[in-house]
Amino acid sequence: MRAVTAPGPTRVIASWEYRNAVRARWVLTMAAVFGLLCVAVTLLAFRTVRELGLTGIGPASATLVNLGVLLPSLMGLLLGAGSLAGSREQGMLAMICAQPLRRSQVAAGAFLGLTGSLWTTLGIGFGCAMLIMAGVARGSDVPAIVTLIGATFGVAAASVAIGVAISAVVSSRVQAISLAVGLWIVLSLGVDLALAALAPSVHLGPAGLLGAILLNPLEAGRILALLGTNFQGTALGPFGAYLIATFGKVGTVGVLVADLAAWTVAPLLVARWALPRKDL
Amino acid sequence: MPETPFLEVVGLTKVYRGGWGLHDVSLTLPSGTIAALGGPNGSGKSTFLRCVAGLARSKGEVRLDGELLGTAPGPRAAIGYLPQSVTMPEASTIGEVLDFFSALRRADRRDLPLPEGFVRPDHDRIGELSGGQRHRVALAVALLGHPKLLLLDEPVANLDEEGRAAFWRMLRRLRDDEGVTSVVSSPSPSELRGVADRAIHLDDGRLHREEDLTAPADVTDIAPHPDTDADLEACS
Repeated sequence: MRAVTAPGPTRVIASWEYRNAVRARWVLTMAAVFGLLCVAVTLLAFRTVRELGLTGIGPASATLVNLGVLLPSLMGLLLGAGSLAGSREQGMLAMICAQPLRRSQVAAGAFLGLTGSLWTTLGIGFGCAMLIMAGVARGSDVPAIVTLIGATFGVAAASVAIGVAISAVVSSRVQAISLAVGLWIVLSLGVDLALAALAPSVHLGPAGLLGAILLNPLEAGRILALLGTNFQGTALGPFGAYLIATFGKVGTVGVLVADLAAWTVAPLLVARWALPRKDL
Repeated sequence: MPETPFLEVVGLTKVYRGGWGLHDVSLTLPSGTIAALGGPNGSGKSTFLRCVAGLARSKGEVRLDGELLGTAPGPRAAIGYLPQSVTMPEASTIGEVLDFFSALRRADRRDLPLPEGFVRPDHDRIGELSGGQRHRVALAVALLGHPKLLLLDEPVANLDEEGRAAFWRMLRRLRDDEGVTSVVSSPSPSELRGVADRAIHLDDGRLHREEDLTAPADVTDIAPHPDTDADLEACS
């Protein structure tokens, strides 16, 4: 008979964070908004598809890409940023860290629990959209759906990790939330605007193009999500077109997945380094 | 025969940006001691407890039963810590909070050394509790897993008279029956007269003086606290 072992601290904290996150009113509100938006854009896309005499779910899933990158990344950053910094202000982090565990386990548990809660939210939102899509989806649409969901989940995980790192480094919840919102604005809008402004005068070159993608997890996620829906199209933009031309489709998927993984692991290493150095 | 120190603090020093938090504090406590940690506001009582619990970075050494307390989690299983204030998730139930910390300590919460009814029933939500009732939950968390050293930052601040009496009674029973050592901070350590064996006074982050409260001559300058004396009479 297998011995039953007690769950480790990381798992215990992950389950605690998950439960608290899915109960939070603002998370529930964001989940409802995400679900409604998913349904709305899917229905609108299908109406357009019918009017144009097209078939399949391609246009609908393409409309979900930006939604799947922008809203989950904001939610992930906010969830992560509020986690450790909020607990520290409430005294809960001191009580948790006074237990026989390592602080790196606290950061890892917070990341896992919050990512799980965000993935649940996204799963419900996409699930609603998929129910609508199911009537018209074809077998060839499956890769597009899988790519879209995978990319969205990857961006969500990276965003939570970045948020947790911010939360571990700064000294107050307000600072953490402000930084997270500022970073989201920069990543979702600021980088594109800056590049557009600089484009006439600055020639980025191959290294610049690659850097602009890899340094922005939202852009990496967007291109990854679009790969399944519009591989040949112009929707990939100059960065996506450059990646495809340089690495091919499979290579591009590998580069982007590795980039999102790095954007998840690196912030967690920062949190692991910073949290033990914080006074609680 | 000299007392074997259970808690040994050597040169504990904590510097904040604004000045000293603790300045070269050294003390020893034998096993089974209740120490009242006193001093004015800002004297370093909470900082001392946080540094000993390993929650704030500091210079110096803290040994527990001869073992150096570092970053390793193992020795911390022997410590129960109560912060001065804590806000638990309002949507959680008392049972969930206690289950969570029990799982982290790998402790059985049915073994809590608290009297029946000290903490409200498991299904009550934290958000529905008064400040004092929430404080009782935090106290229960600090006592999970039979810690050998209790670091309690103003543990009775939010408790009513009945709660205080039950708490002091429990603290003395843990000392007498299980040899638990407790360091209990209070802005008015006279409140701990009759409970504490030793008084430690901090002032401006320095160890101002230590008193053995079990020796009659050493307690004369500590004013009796009417509420506590009444509580203790009720306990005995």
